Amino acid sequence: MKTWALIVDTWREALAHYTLLGFLLVSTLFLLTLTFALNLDIVDGSLAAGTLFGKALEFHHGNRPIDTVVVTGQSVFAGMLYVLGVFLAVFATGSQVPNLQRRGTVDLYVTRPITRTHLLLGRFLGAMTLVIVNLLFLCGGVFLVISLKTKVWNPRFLVAMGLIMVVFLSFLGFMYLVGVLSSSTPLSIMLPYALYMVSMPLAAHDHIAAAMDSRFWANVVHGLYWVLPKTAEVGRDLTAYVLGRTTPTLMPLATTAAFGAVCLAAAVVIFNRKSF
Amino acid sequence: MDAPSTVISARRLAKEFRHWGKRLRALDAVDLEVRSGEVFGLLGANGAGKTTLMKILLGLTKPTEGEARVRGRDPRAASSRTRIGYLPEGHRFPGYLTGAAALRLFGRLAGLPEPTLDRRTPDLLELVGLADRARDRVGHYSKGMTQRLGLACALLDEPNVLFLDEPTDGVDPVGRRQIRDILLATRTSGTTIFINSHLLSEVERTCDRVAILHRGRVIREGTVEGLTRPTRRFRLRLAAGELPPTERLREIGAAVVNSNGSVEVEVPDLEALNRLVDTLRAERLLIAEISPLRAALEDVFVEVVGEEDRAADPEGHASGPRPEVGPEGGT
Repeated sequence: MKTWALIVDTWREALAHYTLLGFLLVSTLFLLTLTFALNLDIVDGSLAAGTLFGKALEFHHGNRPIDTVVVTGQSVFAGMLYVLGVFLAVFATGSQVPNLQRRGTVDLYVTRPITRTHLLLGRFLGAMTLVIVNLLFLCGGVFLVISLKTKVWNPRFLVAMGLIMVVFLSFLGFMYLVGVLSSSTPLSIMLPYALYMVSMPLAAHDHIAAAMDSRFWANVVHGLYWVLPKTAEVGRDLTAYVLGRTTPTLMPLATTAAFGAVCLAAAVVIFNRKSF
Repeated sequence: MDAPSTVISARRLAKEFRHWGKRLRALDAVDLEVRSGEVFGLLGANGAGKTTLMKILLGLTKPTEGEARVRGRDPRAASSRTRIGYLPEGHRFPGYLTGAAALRLFGRLAGLPEPTLDRRTPDLLELVGLADRARDRVGHYSKGMTQRLGLACALLDEPNVLFLDEPTDGVDPVGRRQIRDILLATRTSGTTIFINSHLLSEVERTCDRVAILHRGRVIREGTVEGLTRPTRRFRLRLAAGELPPTERLREIGAAVVNSNGSVEVEVPDLEALNRLVDTLRAERLLIAEISPLRAALEDVFVEVVGEEDRAADPEGHASGPRPEVGPEGGT
């Protein structure tokens, strides 16, 4: 009951701040565009012609098998969503902890007979359900529309959503830690973005470390690579998986998830020890 | 070991805040006991440490030293907060909730079952005079309305211990009376009430016992009756139209202050008071009222705090009010 109340509270907050409605509106427009404005002519399993808003699409490589076109399109879309979806999700949930810790509000929550751990994890769960529903709506919608139009069913696209969720949850854990420490919404949004930017080039940590003058800084670069989320690797694996070329490797996913879990655990510990 | 009837206790409680390298001792060796069914008032100027003490008693803040107990349990344990009501000072309900939704949310977090919430929510909104605004967003409420909603929220799970931090803050006189009536009704059901306030007249009307907190220390504690002891001053009123002969009264040794149709006289003892009556009667003046005056809590507070300040700083170099520093800025 308490957990449910916290989840509902998170949804109410998102609705009141129009973040949920905004996301759903943009997703719905995108899905409507796909449904009504995109027409594909498939002849003998190949894409022969297509129109978008009535304008003919040009194909420079001649007729291509429709399953290749669909899978490629889904892979591009998954890659876009990986970047954009995580950014939007961070933006939509960045104010959660600072709002909870606001003076005069936190007193009302924390003095109820509920543990602080339960309180924070309940909000985390609320944010998680919020993003899952958004992703399901958008990605599930894209999957259904494309699959129904082309009769090509590529379930790997749906699995890719799971990978995006893992990365988002890792960032959410980090965001909770920043929120608990700073009580600042701008910082809770900006620092995960900064983390995303920093973690991307670390995929080339071997090259970066080799270019370092000192062994110390080389070790720092390797250390950062192992500690921070593997955003580049997960993104690469995700698009390759949707294309059917490979299965995602465990290490980047596991270390990304571990980073989020450690951050969330630290947030819970600090929140429990904090004086309000 | 607390006495069996002790509901709230503080033992050598101290709290020190650090703020940008500065240290501020908000509480210093506070000992306090509140007994079951009592209405206890904690008085103090701004920054005296009242809110810090209340927050420690509710588990919101960790003491630097000492021990706090509510119903014999550590207030930081979540389970110990069952049936404890709290109205924080300057509370802010999430603005996106309606009044009814706010009560339901915090009721659910208190573990109240749905049928109880269905019953308690409208009842409490009615009690605090917000029934007709139940569906309005809290963000559109006035300060007084928010305060009344806060009180309803504090009463949600029929608490047997109620903490109120400046309960009438921002409330109009009619609302204040309503809140006072609600508190008195709550008290008759045996609820122990702990009130922080600097509105001394409110405390005087509501509380059984008070403690004065000054610069983080309890400097006086006692019953309201005991602290507001009778003085040697009396209000004297003659029958309509007649003014007391103040010169005559001064001649027999009474200090006289005119006060809106009556006079206040101060006499050294009862013998002098009776001489005064004899004098007035000898002059055939008709006495309508002679009533003893008690020292108001405000007078006691000012006197006690003044004594403390003079003792701490006999040269009179007091540095004025202390800065308010707490975890989020208050003490």
